[in-house]
Amino acid sequence: MVDIPKVAVLFGFGINCDHETKAVFDLVGGQATRVHVNHFINGNRSLDEFHILAVPGGFSFGDHLGSGRLLGNRMRFALREQLHAFVAAGKPIIGICNGFQVLVKTGLLPGPAAGQDPLPDFIQRASLTLNDSGRYEDRWVTLEFDSNSPCIWTKGITRIDCPVRHGEGKFVLPDNTDFDMLAANNQLTVRYVDPATENGEGITDELLPFPLSPNGSMRNIAGVCDATGLVFGLMPHPEAVYAKWLHPDHTRNTAPGPESSDVLGEWEGEGLQMFRNAVDYVKANL
Amino acid sequence: MVVTRVEVTPKQSQGMRDVRGDSVRRQLFSDHAVSATEVRSIVGFLIKSDITEEEVAARSDDLFTDPIIEVGFTNTLAMTNSEIFPSAPDCVITIGFKPGVTDNPGKAAVDGFHTIFPQATDAEISTYITYAFYGLPSDCDSQWLAGTIYNGLIQRALVSDSAACANGDWPEIEFPERLPQVFTTPERVNLEISDAELEELSYTGLLALNLEEMQTIQGHYRDEATRNLREAIGISPDAPTDVELECLAQTWSEHCKHKIFASKIHHVDTETGEDTTIDSIFKTHIMDPTHDMQKDVDWLLSVFHDNSGVIAWDDDWSICMKAETHNSPSALDPYGGAMTGIVGVNRDILGTGLGARPIANTDVFCFGPPDWEGDLPDNLFHPSRVLRGVHAGVRVGGNESGIPTVNGAIVFDDRYIGKPLVYCGTIGIMPRRLADGRESHIKTPTSGDIVYMVGGRVGYDGIHGATFSSLELTEESPSSAVQIGDPITQKKMVDMILEARDSGLITCITDNGAGGLSSSIGEMAEYTNGCEIDLAKVPLKQAGLSAWEILVSESQERMTVAVKEEDRAAFDALAALHEVEATAVATFTSTGYFHVKYNEMTVAYLPIEFLHDGVPQLQLESEWKSPQLEPFSVPAQSDHNDLLLRMLARPNITSKETWVRQYDHEVIAQTVIKPFVGVERDGPGDAGLIAPIHGNPHGIVVSCGIAPRYSDIDAGAMAAASIDEAVRNAVCVGVDVDKIAGLDNFCWPDPIESVKTPDGRFKLAQLVRANRELERVCRAYRLPCVSGKDSMKNDYGSGEGKISIPPTLLFSLFGDHPDVRYTATSDLKGAGERLYLVGTSKQELGASEIAFMLKESGEAGGIGGEVPQLLDPESQLNTYRALSKTIQSGLVRTAHDCSEGGIAVAVAEMCIGGRCGANIDIDGTGTGDLWGRMWGESLGRIVIGVSAGNEADFVEAMSGHDITLLGISTVGTTLVITDGYDELVELPVEQLVTSWQGTLDLTGGVA
Repeated sequence: MVDIPKVAVLFGFGINCDHETKAVFDLVGGQATRVHVNHFINGNRSLDEFHILAVPGGFSFGDHLGSGRLLGNRMRFALREQLHAFVAAGKPIIGICNGFQVLVKTGLLPGPAAGQDPLPDFIQRASLTLNDSGRYEDRWVTLEFDSNSPCIWTKGITRIDCPVRHGEGKFVLPDNTDFDMLAANNQLTVRYVDPATENGEGITDELLPFPLSPNGSMRNIAGVCDATGLVFGLMPHPEAVYAKWLHPDHTRNTAPGPESSDVLGEWEGEGLQMFRNAVDYVKANL
Repeated sequence: MVVTRVEVTPKQSQGMRDVRGDSVRRQLFSDHAVSATEVRSIVGFLIKSDITEEEVAARSDDLFTDPIIEVGFTNTLAMTNSEIFPSAPDCVITIGFKPGVTDNPGKAAVDGFHTIFPQATDAEISTYITYAFYGLPSDCDSQWLAGTIYNGLIQRALVSDSAACANGDWPEIEFPERLPQVFTTPERVNLEISDAELEELSYTGLLALNLEEMQTIQGHYRDEATRNLREAIGISPDAPTDVELECLAQTWSEHCKHKIFASKIHHVDTETGEDTTIDSIFKTHIMDPTHDMQKDVDWLLSVFHDNSGVIAWDDDWSICMKAETHNSPSALDPYGGAMTGIVGVNRDILGTGLGARPIANTDVFCFGPPDWEGDLPDNLFHPSRVLRGVHAGVRVGGNESGIPTVNGAIVFDDRYIGKPLVYCGTIGIMPRRLADGRESHIKTPTSGDIVYMVGGRVGYDGIHGATFSSLELTEESPSSAVQIGDPITQKKMVDMILEARDSGLITCITDNGAGGLSSSIGEMAEYTNGCEIDLAKVPLKQAGLSAWEILVSESQERMTVAVKEEDRAAFDALAALHEVEATAVATFTSTGYFHVKYNEMTVAYLPIEFLHDGVPQLQLESEWKSPQLEPFSVPAQSDHNDLLLRMLARPNITSKETWVRQYDHEVIAQTVIKPFVGVERDGPGDAGLIAPIHGNPHGIVVSCGIAPRYSDIDAGAMAAASIDEAVRNAVCVGVDVDKIAGLDNFCWPDPIESVKTPDGRFKLAQLVRANRELERVCRAYRLPCVSGKDSMKNDYGSGEGKISIPPTLLFSLFGDHPDVRYTATSDLKGAGERLYLVGTSKQELGASEIAFMLKESGEAGGIGGEVPQLLDPESQLNTYRALSKTIQSGLVRTAHDCSEGGIAVAVAEMCIGGRCGANIDIDGTGTGDLWGRMWGESLGRIVIGVSAGNEADFVEAMSGHDITLLGISTVGTTLVITDGYDELVELPVEQLVTSWQGTLDLTGGVA
């Protein structure tokens, strides 16, 4: 039994959401540490010490040669065994924004097709490329989650608002057969949806117009998981809405307060549950 | 070594497209109305290494090409592949960097190359991009086309026109070999020459020193004691070395020493008869007031002397802020100039105290009109290109650094064509105390500490930036003064330095900005009264740099950090972990000398006191006489519906969302009020509000004010308006008005009377008036200026074609917010809100936006008249305090600043944010006539909305202050404005939206 799951939050080389990613795990009962990528590569630290791995957002290596590519390569060549063992041990991994791009470029996502050995084989099958708009943008989107997804990170979450902040978020998977298999296995965990649709009925394969889909992602994909459901990545930033005061509508809604304590309480934002899910999963399963 | 070429182009099937090429197509259409049917892009890499072509080709898909979305070619031009490029384009343009220019993708590629080929330690990679244009108009000139997308100052372009394309003749760019630099031994510079020759030496050497300063240096070397000491140390006894002269020129530059603000000014006011002398406007009007305020509060921790001003925020954290300008470099290369501006000011924060963490950026730009159709002087870019480039530089610099851009503005005026203003600001946070008990805002160096240069290397780029920016822009401005930032090298350095700080390894730190090592180490050496530098230890981008070049080069991404001898191993280990270059280059001493060596040879030996305090005080003349302007007179016939739609579309008022949304404004998960707010998140935000400690709603407000056109009438009024706007914006989100601090950034045309500047006395008088108003308003608002900067040579050319910017003060503010859960935004919150005007509208239409608009259209004669004044700032502060408290208590959740375009525009923007109508009556809102009350820009005004249930409490809380009921937000979607029984405006909100959003969307259509 793990009482307080230990979370490794990667940083270095232009990762820049490491502070808030550490904070959200700490807020839900984890014990997160920012660990420089080189500590794992040089062998000063081992992934083995941790129960959860988070690859935060940022601009690793300036997105040059394709977002996530260079950091992905460092991990793919230097941390192969450690990452394989991590997933084999049933430990969750999340990649957010640039972290998602890293996981896709290393081949951890979407990973081997269902039915095969589900553990990482480090073969890239999909990609994230320039937004159709040609622009980096920071804007809020509405996300809906596949309630049947094996993803351990998204259990019980149906719909949330959060920001996207990327220039290369268009999910591309040219092989339709592979795409259909991912869909059949409910690995297309989270999609951009039209907020005007009913909760639970927003998901569609039909391309949504800009800016409902901010990037022109195939099938409106915002994030996918691997066949084990342990490895999950998404372009939007759930950690950026850990508190209600970060939601752009917060001055429009009736305030929950007044509250004297500084704990989140009623002010918890809808992005936090994802991190609580992983921490609870580790507590229950490891 | 072999050079291998790799080219990569996007696949164009199954829902994939060439977005990079398409962006160029849309931009061409937007900026020049030239339509191409298609533009395709190819990214190229030239790899110089010992790895063979075959080996590179075998691993290309692991590094250069993403096989899912791209096709790659090794040592073949992609254009020659008829499967990928089946038909010949009309034009092909390849753009690469000039030798020595920072190539960030190339640097990253080298890093990636090492991952795959660890043995290729001396590999170099240069990148380029090729665009293939299809379906161009037949009269489209290829060279002209290339000119629209590349900058000859830093880039090379190769062009195949339609004939070459038809021949299959494609551009084949080569590796940009740097010209070899030749190390020249430091030379003795003879100063025993005539005055005219001294001036000539200063001019041709880009020293930017005046005769008196040159004579002061001459005098130093005539001193017998000096000569003896120099003789003993083994350096030319009776004349400076070139290293010394360059070092003095940098340290004494206007850029570094702010000589105009420190000057003795003889000021005459021809209207009042005043005839007086001011001994330093900086000391008199900025520093003294702040020091007086420092006696009354306990939160002003560090003002003026460090890289940024520091205030205590709570028991655990202090916060700091700095704003800088990067005008001259941005004029020459908008992208690189602006990028180095933003990453440069980030380093000011990192170099504050023992190191602060940058957590938020602000950007304020002043440009010529984006739709300018008039002539452009030589060597100046069209304002739309300046806007694109500056925006891209700041976007890349801020976003890649992981620092959110939370506040800013873009201002337009014809005169900024001559010199754009690019203000970049950064807020930082640091623990009040480090683990070892030291207060982190205090530097603690001692003699014997080792001085490291950390981050980037020193190159030929960036020589003479400080002196160059102290001269007016001319056609011959040097390209070496332009650089491109490298945010990722800097980000690694920031990560490393903050870890070093938290481990207690740092005793002193500062940024390498203007003046390079000569300034950074020179300034730090004041603490211990001496230093000894060995320039031969400084790592270089290329061999052969001479000693003086190494000392003054402003190559980017460098910090200077002092470490105790016993901490060197730990510091070196941290640098290795983060893959940051850190080299010990100097030692602090207490000898009283700035002692520079190159290996064993002494190349500079200057007394610290002479270096820092030796520059003679300027004596300047100032004379005020009000400018005579044709007054603004209102047209006889006016349709206020039409006026409102036109006003909303004015570049100074229109939505800047297309641009601002491309900044990451919420990384770090702290941004409570975004730049755009409301139902559709497209209404204007008044101020930035962040809660940087995760889980804690304690906040920081960030705002700014800028009103340059008021200088046309009175620069004093301009300054007061800027300060009031910054405070007003902060009040709109509920700042604690009793804990606010400000930054003054002055950008002025040259105010020194000379042949080139015959109106120097008037421009200096404008500066005097601006500073007097700054003191008056800041004292009344208890608003200390904790840091500031000035840029005093914002002119283009001289004589007939001279363009001088309007005197411009950017006032930035940062302040405390008790609890971000209780704040307000500008959008109407739905039907039934009661709308009040806080403040009074006077008859103040001089230099207003409506005056400029009607003058430009010929409907009115001039823009003269009464400019907004802040007559009673003491009582204004009380009103602001009362209003802010109604926001902090949750009574008020809607508030909007009333500035350009007056009440009409303010209320229209609130309707846009809320997608909600309103009925407004401007009768009784002040002493102005209809135009003054509708369009006037009187200061101290905020429009608020309060729910019917909270109205009585609001009115009670504001008793004793000027408030007027304006009207109510409505169920419908129409804005109605009346003046008593006269209806002025009746417009659907959707029409307001269309007008407000159209002007600056230069995207050429979205996906």
